[in-house]
Amino acid sequence: MSPLFRPKHNTLAQISLFVIAAGALGVPGGLMLYARTPLARGMQDPIEQPLQFDHRHHTRDEGIDCRYCHNTVDKSPAASIPQTQLCLNCHSQIWNKSPLLEPVRESFFQNKPLEWRRVYKVPEFVYFNHSIHVNKGVGCVSCHGRVDQMAAVEKATPLTMGFCLDCHRHPEENLRPVSEVVNMDWKPEGDPVEAGRLLAVQNNVHTRTSCTTCHR
Amino acid sequence: MSCDDNHEARAKDRARRSLPVVGGDRVGERELGSREPVAGGTGPSQGPENNARPLPLWRSIEERSLLGPHPGAANEFPGGAAELDGVSRRSFMQLLGVSTAIATVGAACRKPNEKIIPFVRRPEETTPGNALHFATAYALEGYTSGLLVESHEGRPTKIEGNPAHPETIGATTVIEQALILGLYDDDRAKQLRRGGEAIAWQTYLADVRTRGAKLAEKGGAGLRFLTGPTTSPLLADLRRRILERFPQAKFVSYGAVANDGAVEGSKMAFGRPLVPRHHLAPAAVILSLDSDFLADGPEQTRLSREFGARREPSRDMNRLYVVEPAMTVTGGMADHRLRLRGSDVGSLVATLCGLLSGRGLSTLGPVGSLGHGQGSWDPKWLVALCGDLERNRGRSLIIAGRRHPPVVHSFCAALNVALGNLGSTVEYGAPLTTDATSGTAALGALAEDIAAGSVDTLVVTSENPVYSAPVDFKLAQLFKRVPNVIYHGLYEDETAATCNTFVPAAHALESWGDGRATDGIVSIVQPLIAPLWGGHTEAEVLSAFVGDGDLGTHELLRRYWRGMAKLPGNLAGSFDNVWERWLADGIVPDTGAGAESGVTINGQALAQAAAPLLARSGAGLEIAFAIDPKVFDGRFANNAWLQELAHPITKLTWDNGLLLSETTAKGLEVETGDVVEITYRDRKVEAPALIVPGHADDAITLPLGYGRTATGHVGRAVGFNGNELRTSDAPWFDRGATINKTGKRFKFAITQDHFTMSPDGRESPPPAVSAPLAEVLNAGSMFHEELEERRGPQAVIHQPVDYSGQAYKWGMAIDLNKCTGCNACVVACQSENNIASVGKDGVGRGREMQWIRIDRYFTGSPEDPEMINQPLGCVHCETAPCEYVCPVNATVHSDEGLNEMIYNRCIGTRYCSNNCPYKVRRFNFLDYTGDISAARELGMNPEVTVRSRGVMEKCTYCVQRIERARIATRIEGRTIADGELQTACQQGCPTQAIVFGSLNDPNSKVSQLHTDTRRYDLLHELGTRPRTAYLARVRNPNPELAKGD
Repeated sequence: MSPLFRPKHNTLAQISLFVIAAGALGVPGGLMLYARTPLARGMQDPIEQPLQFDHRHHTRDEGIDCRYCHNTVDKSPAASIPQTQLCLNCHSQIWNKSPLLEPVRESFFQNKPLEWRRVYKVPEFVYFNHSIHVNKGVGCVSCHGRVDQMAAVEKATPLTMGFCLDCHRHPEENLRPVSEVVNMDWKPEGDPVEAGRLLAVQNNVHTRTSCTTCHR
Repeated sequence: MSCDDNHEARAKDRARRSLPVVGGDRVGERELGSREPVAGGTGPSQGPENNARPLPLWRSIEERSLLGPHPGAANEFPGGAAELDGVSRRSFMQLLGVSTAIATVGAACRKPNEKIIPFVRRPEETTPGNALHFATAYALEGYTSGLLVESHEGRPTKIEGNPAHPETIGATTVIEQALILGLYDDDRAKQLRRGGEAIAWQTYLADVRTRGAKLAEKGGAGLRFLTGPTTSPLLADLRRRILERFPQAKFVSYGAVANDGAVEGSKMAFGRPLVPRHHLAPAAVILSLDSDFLADGPEQTRLSREFGARREPSRDMNRLYVVEPAMTVTGGMADHRLRLRGSDVGSLVATLCGLLSGRGLSTLGPVGSLGHGQGSWDPKWLVALCGDLERNRGRSLIIAGRRHPPVVHSFCAALNVALGNLGSTVEYGAPLTTDATSGTAALGALAEDIAAGSVDTLVVTSENPVYSAPVDFKLAQLFKRVPNVIYHGLYEDETAATCNTFVPAAHALESWGDGRATDGIVSIVQPLIAPLWGGHTEAEVLSAFVGDGDLGTHELLRRYWRGMAKLPGNLAGSFDNVWERWLADGIVPDTGAGAESGVTINGQALAQAAAPLLARSGAGLEIAFAIDPKVFDGRFANNAWLQELAHPITKLTWDNGLLLSETTAKGLEVETGDVVEITYRDRKVEAPALIVPGHADDAITLPLGYGRTATGHVGRAVGFNGNELRTSDAPWFDRGATINKTGKRFKFAITQDHFTMSPDGRESPPPAVSAPLAEVLNAGSMFHEELEERRGPQAVIHQPVDYSGQAYKWGMAIDLNKCTGCNACVVACQSENNIASVGKDGVGRGREMQWIRIDRYFTGSPEDPEMINQPLGCVHCETAPCEYVCPVNATVHSDEGLNEMIYNRCIGTRYCSNNCPYKVRRFNFLDYTGDISAARELGMNPEVTVRSRGVMEKCTYCVQRIERARIATRIEGRTIADGELQTACQQGCPTQAIVFGSLNDPNSKVSQLHTDTRRYDLLHELGTRPRTAYLARVRNPNPELAKGD
């Protein structure tokens, strides 16, 4: 009668022990790593909108200020998606027969809002306020990336709590003169950190990290 | 006092006391003092039956009479509180497994994309994300109060008082605060119907047209309108137009609560119907004859403000005498309270007149001669009152309650005139309501008409008369005999069940309209939202009878006011501009009604008229009906905020009880919770008895407004219906009720023993402090010595954080001297902070969620107690005990000293609540917000997280308002000015008892109050360094009646 366990079983046991140990560490570790990937955070995923709106064209080619459409960004928590009427301020004059703009005309004449798909979202228990950031010199590009280079807008930053806190702890890196907030190409002159410190004083920036700053 | 001194003092204290040892060293750490209690003057009044050490403060009769702590009080989470209903341990584990699996799978999936839906045409004034405030008005009993309603993207979410309105001056009543919940009530009637058949508005209009044409042929004979009391100029104009077309038609006003006594009383006194309007600013002495003027009636907000303003401890402080059968909010504020059966009040006033006529007020002689000179009151009390009134001629005020008959009001008028108060504390003006009276008398005439068969079409816009009318009218049967009854109401209620055409009403916040305040100032009512379920206004229902039914109220209103605006002396400019101005301001200028001049009294004639009315009342137990401070006449029965609100006196939620005094209860061998059968005039009602301190003996009180059989799911079968015993000839008081025990027991949900601060620490200093004025004004008195020990630095283990370098150091001060306990703050907080309701069962288990509770303490004997209210939310301790024990840092301190609660971190251990000495934390035992209706979701404040199950919550000092104000001012490059930022409770408070602001600003109101000599900290001995300070209550007793004399 042959022995119940042969030498190869030793190897098998060692391998299975290794697999179990690797799994115990690797699965949570892998999940944690996965959660930090752009995929898990919904980044780098251009979102198709019901209307083929191209930010590149409107901002770069036509030079329209971000705040022409997102016109409550400096006075309200919400930046606002423009109302249909605002599109027609121009498009009643130009491209007013374009089939691409049919949904806009339909929305306006049938009084049916356009349904845009959300790109950026913070959880319900987070109260982000655009106006204070814009008024203290945090540029659009700091959170939203190069929207002027996106055919369809994608999430450019993770918007995790760590992302927010990094800036709230060291705002200098993301400050600019208030007049330059919508400028996608602005770069500080000289040492960025030194310039940031100066801007923090100029813009009267006092970031807070108390929980209720964002969670209420 | 420095910390070291304090240590020494403590050591000394310990040496002279025997410390009770309860639960080990925790209690030992607390400085348990057996020092003389401060409450109720220099010493406690000793009840003779109380042979143990008397309690300075007590909350319930049980607590007072028990020698040990109240059973259950010690347990913050009483038995069953943590159990999951109807789920066994086994099925709980199964659910847990399944939900974990789902959560794991769910977490791995990408979140679904959300839609963003912008406006097609954004209204000019709207900035998405920023709230707007619109001025409007609300009329509970015909008279309007001005409101300012917060609206988020078209959804009204919060109600404030309009500071520009003369009657609300920026504050609100409990009922006004709760209107928001009523607006989004999914149980409201939604369908216009004829019989059981749903019809369209146009069909209804066609119906009215045909019927109207037929009625017009007979001049409108057989057409009757039963409306609520109203001051609306538009409705008055519609009535005029209807009567032009139907000259034989009749209008009747009816409200369950009416001011008829005052109107008829002034008719007796002055020969013409007039309505008194009161002013407390000049009043040094106030006598309330069973008038709950601080929490009832259309003047309550203004009167509370004026009353509070004169409660500052000085020689100028007012003195309040209250005569009443059952304790009310006003009675709780009294410096001298006399409990007296309602039917004896008339005799007391006549006696008072007699006493005053003997002191030189000879005009009162004839009336005074009607007094019996004695009654169940202490003659010394009346003599002292007399002296006070006489010394303060022209600066006193006598207010008679609305429940009292005309004769009491006429004497009250005679007294005010004789004391020279006319034009100073009281003025009389012509009634502003379309009908001078709206009580049972006019309704009786209508009932007779119906019984005689002369009514063909009855239009009812009055609030649920079938439920609230006296039972002897038998309105339900009568209405069924009318061929055509059109009822306009918010709910399919008891009245709707008797009518054949039902028109769902638009809520006050969905309606256009107008109305006048008690001083005549007109407000335009503008809607905050289009009717959610297609309701119609009263004006639309009435205008159908003159062919304007499809115009809409907005057009009707504008047409009417366009005509009025042409009147000389009114604003110049185009009507549109004027109109916009009116809407924006919430008031129409120059519309105030002046007082009547030439008001004189013929004492002889009055005495003659009054003599037969003042006959001695009958014998037997007195039965009294009371207006409920929560559900009013029952119309708010379906409002969970109001139902779950603790009654200001009884702390009862979700019910009414038969109120009686301890002595009466002993005589009848009844205990709290016994279901008794009340027999009165051969009618019987079963009700659970509830013994309340301060109730008159040989009397029972039945709060009205409960026992609804037809309303939404919240209010159905809550409490018992006192209206079933109420008759038209004695709508408020009568003698001759009998009570029999049924042997059944009833379980109340009473909150008075919930969240007890120190169930084991009964010897610690009383939480609510009260002292007589003389002691407060004497800087060296015992009072100040006591309070000195209850503020200032206290030795603590942790080094206190220095907040002086921060821009703000938030703090609050609550002046117990101004707090009437009206509950407005509680509901304001509930509305602002999306606080859930838990239902009667939940309250019974101690799970109520309101962030503010009003601790109502009594001092003295249960027969004649004094009452102190102490609103208590989180006090934001600088060394907060809750923070040390949270294992996940879900409650931490902000840089400005707020004790923050982070819902997304909370895992629900409840350690924080366990360790909170103030017991102000609230735990979501169940998912109270998971199944709310889609409509209710619209009313949530979008700036506050809606909490779900398993999360702790508590007062945040309205941090969303702080952050909102901070951002607004930081953008402008300045700091938040004092008074610019108000918490919800502060804004709602009618007496301005709550003040909030930065303690780093030495000039802020709150800083000044924190350094007031009356300031003390609650549980100061624990060294928690609370940011909310309390200011001691001050009583202003008449020296002639001072205790111990």
